[in-house]
Amino acid sequence: MRIVAKKEIMEFVRDWRTIVALILVPLMLFPLLFIAFPLVMQNEAQELQELDVDILVQSDYIDENILLGLNQSNISITIQPLPSGLESLSEPLNGSTLLRSYEYDAILRLEQRNDTWFYSVLFLSTSEQSTEARNRVLDVLNTWETNETIERIEAGGLDADSTLNPLRWDGVISDADVATKGEQAGMLLSLFIPFVLALWTASAAVQPAIDMTVGERERGTLESLLSLPLSRSELLMGKWLAVVTITGVGVALQVAGLLFGIAFLAEDLVNVPSISISSVLLLTLAVGLYGTMIVALYLALAMRSKSVKEAGTVLTPITLAMIVPILLTQFINLDGVETFWFAIPFVNVLLALRELLLDRVILEHVIIWISVSIFVSFLTIRYAAKQFSREDIVTSRS
Amino acid sequence: MRTDEPLNRGFTMNENLLHLTDVSKSFGEVHAIEHVSLDIQTKSVVGLVGGNGAGKTTLLRMMAGIYKPTTGRVYLKDGKNVDQMRSVLGVVPESTGLYSKLTAWENIRFHSRIHGIEDSVAWSRTLRFAELLDIQDSLHRYTEGFSRGMRQKTALLRALAHGPSILLLDEPTAGLDVTSARIVRKLVQKLKDEGGTVIYSTHHLAEAEQVCDRIIIVHNGTIRADGTPDELLEQTDTNSLEEAYVSLTSEVARPRQEDTINTSKFALLWRRLFTRSHRYEVSEDE
Repeated sequence: MRIVAKKEIMEFVRDWRTIVALILVPLMLFPLLFIAFPLVMQNEAQELQELDVDILVQSDYIDENILLGLNQSNISITIQPLPSGLESLSEPLNGSTLLRSYEYDAILRLEQRNDTWFYSVLFLSTSEQSTEARNRVLDVLNTWETNETIERIEAGGLDADSTLNPLRWDGVISDADVATKGEQAGMLLSLFIPFVLALWTASAAVQPAIDMTVGERERGTLESLLSLPLSRSELLMGKWLAVVTITGVGVALQVAGLLFGIAFLAEDLVNVPSISISSVLLLTLAVGLYGTMIVALYLALAMRSKSVKEAGTVLTPITLAMIVPILLTQFINLDGVETFWFAIPFVNVLLALRELLLDRVILEHVIIWISVSIFVSFLTIRYAAKQFSREDIVTSRS
Repeated sequence: MRTDEPLNRGFTMNENLLHLTDVSKSFGEVHAIEHVSLDIQTKSVVGLVGGNGAGKTTLLRMMAGIYKPTTGRVYLKDGKNVDQMRSVLGVVPESTGLYSKLTAWENIRFHSRIHGIEDSVAWSRTLRFAELLDIQDSLHRYTEGFSRGMRQKTALLRALAHGPSILLLDEPTAGLDVTSARIVRKLVQKLKDEGGTVIYSTHHLAEAEQVCDRIIIVHNGTIRADGTPDELLEQTDTNSLEEAYVSLTSEVARPRQEDTINTSKFALLWRRLFTRSHRYEVSEDE
């Protein structure tokens, strides 16, 4: 088993594309994201802020302070009287044509009725420039509204501050959270790491599983392998060990890249989670069981396939289907979670990952997910062993 | 372990080494081999001769323990089934089965290690035969760029490195140039002289006549004749082995068995749904 696994790994890593796909990409993915994402976001936000936007103001009377605010926000203004025959200010009329032709980025309509001002901002939500123009107009209107409110309150002889904020938080809001920074990081990552672990394990195992089974058959190397003093179970376990090692290295590197990114590149956003040794051990076991099930299933289905193409056709939708339990577990509320969830294969391991990242070791849950996962692992390995025992696996279909 | 030990380790000369007793092999409803009984003796080169789809490869795979007989038994002199004693076998499949990302020596070493042979012993044996095959300078090259002849020679070295008692060769000279084919045949002769047993599948009658001291003609899954070239001529009352072969295999050969297995009924039905029969009318002028 060890000799087979060693040979498989040696052969696999000698392909430089494999090293790029399974080592470099997972290792660099998150650090690059942590570096590139803020840079791109910052750059784009700055570009938007520097944009000059054109708005059309349709109103019969505009307060000077509003005009002043608009001028200070890099907004070019054209003023027209309010169109007649509007049922409401939000009715587009010819506004749609003006916005779609990019003549204006937004249209502000304003009308005073007694002591109240009514307004609308027409914009094109599919244009970022139009959305930016709308946001700037709304900012100006909000500022004006606040000032107007304060003026009216004070004109009535009241204190504006206590009238507007009769109830207020005392102190720093984040100081009131008794969860430590590490626990908060665990909470955030519990929504994220199971997703990465599950999806990467599922997708990274596809190529080696196909290559070491039906790929070997297509290349004509399986027949000589089957003529060796090696049982089919030993052969399966050797290949299983190789795929698990390759996938495991890829996943471990990706998590390492993620933690590195968090610790050194995004330290302002999130901390490294603080979890106990028992949670770490159970996390490792959960990932191991998940990997066992996935790899055994993939090896079985790939060995069943008649060609590499067919194996790809079978395994790709299964990998995509894995997104369903992954997403499902993101929406399950862990406080008061029903026990039956831990009896559903695959879902249970993903839920366990979330619990453990929060450092919650609930014995009842642990016993159920370990028992169910071991049972399902046994079934998948048995299924794989059955496929490896088939006589027609040697038959080359190429 | 001595590195120049003879190939018939543990067996005395001219005794029955491998037995096939009333062996049949079916794949579903397809009968690939029917009621074959054979005894293979030590120090002999036995040729399995037959056309495409005759059943030679299926027979060899049963001898190699890759296929289990549907009925009957394939066993060694000591009574053990062949799939329990694969360490006495050296197998060279038609495809050679080399790993392209490994060097020739790494391919050989991988098999030797599974056979439980120390690397130093396997290396000595490999060097000895590599010189005979004139491939010693290529042992540390990746097999990816090897010619068909080089691949075949490497596969032979791999099959010999653990010192097998029986060597099973499936079409060992198919696709080889004249010089390489000659080297392979010479090696087979040398192995026989050293007391080895070689089972040699081919569809070239002339080659079998040249290399083998016993020829078994396989056709449509059954054995049509078994004996020395002279005995075959006598059995068929013909003057040449070619005439003998034709007289023994006169009925139409069936298609290759493997083409019909491994496909479910649903898959076949589905495939037919998207298959059109093309018939074209051809005018008299055309």
